[in-house]
Amino acid sequence: MLREFTKGFIKENPVFVMALGLCPTLAVTSSVVNAIGMGLAATFVLVFSNIIISLIKDFIPTKIRIPAYIVVIASFVTIVDMVMHAYLPAIHKSLGLFIPLIVVNCIILGRAEAFASKNNVLKSILDGFGMGFGFTFALVVIGGIREVLGAGQFLGMNVMWTSYKPMLVAILAPGAFIVMGLLMGLMNLKKKK
Amino acid sequence: MKYYIKLGLILFVITAIASGILAFLNGKTQPIIEENQVQAQINARLDVLSAAGFFVEDSIKIAKKQDANPLKIQKEVSENWFKYFRGFDADSLLIGYTFVASLYGYSSEVQTMVGVDTNLVVKKIKIISQAETPGLGANCVKEDFQKQFDGKSEKQLAVDKDGGEIESITGATITTRTIANSIKIGLNHLSKSVEIEEVD
Repeated sequence: MLREFTKGFIKENPVFVMALGLCPTLAVTSSVVNAIGMGLAATFVLVFSNIIISLIKDFIPTKIRIPAYIVVIASFVTIVDMVMHAYLPAIHKSLGLFIPLIVVNCIILGRAEAFASKNNVLKSILDGFGMGFGFTFALVVIGGIREVLGAGQFLGMNVMWTSYKPMLVAILAPGAFIVMGLLMGLMNLKKKK
Repeated sequence: MKYYIKLGLILFVITAIASGILAFLNGKTQPIIEENQVQAQINARLDVLSAAGFFVEDSIKIAKKQDANPLKIQKEVSENWFKYFRGFDADSLLIGYTFVASLYGYSSEVQTMVGVDTNLVVKKIKIISQAETPGLGANCVKEDFQKQFDGKSEKQLAVDKDGGEIESITGATITTRTIANSIKIGLNHLSKSVEIEEVD
């Protein structure tokens, strides 16, 4: 049972192993704060859409399952969007466009289709949390490396020596590809051994 | 045939429940969101004109500007009004003005709250909204950059490359120029409206 939770971190990590949800991964990892905000927002949507979908899976004919899942996912994303806008305006502002885009985050639809529609509620909750935290973990690792190299900061605090010249490329778009590619390679190298 | 009606009905039920929940939540969060935005504006105004005790809103009609870029959608009619606030101190004495300067920069609309004294010299500016390149243009929110606008008059507001006195951010001349120009345009409008007031 616990495996459903832990598999999301390393063995089936959505970003590094399954290569799902790469668009938000590349876009919001320019700082750790953004990475955490995006990861937790996606986790919330993932857990609740998994719960609802595993509950209603028997009532939904297979022919219309995808539109039904999308409606459930989109509703939770809208809820996150509105609640964050009202109570966490600062994070909402910096995540901006990427919150509505959680709707099309492949991880969520992928888990709905591959897991929640075939398993019971408890397992689906564990899977949702595991995958969500695995996604958050991946974002924070990439975001941490990019922020330290590209801005000399971690969570907005200076961590590098004073004469450190920030490596700008790391927080620009190419840096996201480079860091993610190297991390994926590292993961594969470790698996081969 | 019956099967397809059933499919439609199931989808209808799902969407109806979803929209019901969302409508309820929207009713709860919308007022808070609006209040936050109003509060943020008030805070920004107080920040750039800290001596002011209260503000009075005013606006002036400005000539429709021909957009240099024909591809850019023509702005709404309502934007032909230049909105600004008069700031008064506790004794109801006019001590300055605030307005939001806004122009499109490198990759986003850059909005700046500007506070000026009665001689139309900038007291303080604060970037309130931008989505410029991280690490380059986004550095415009840094305190050091915004400080150099303090005490500048309309004439001095230009990037050093253009013969002004604003030192541009490394690698982000366009963003710097945008901010300087937007404030300059705002000051220009403001000076016209102040002139009208004096004639009155």
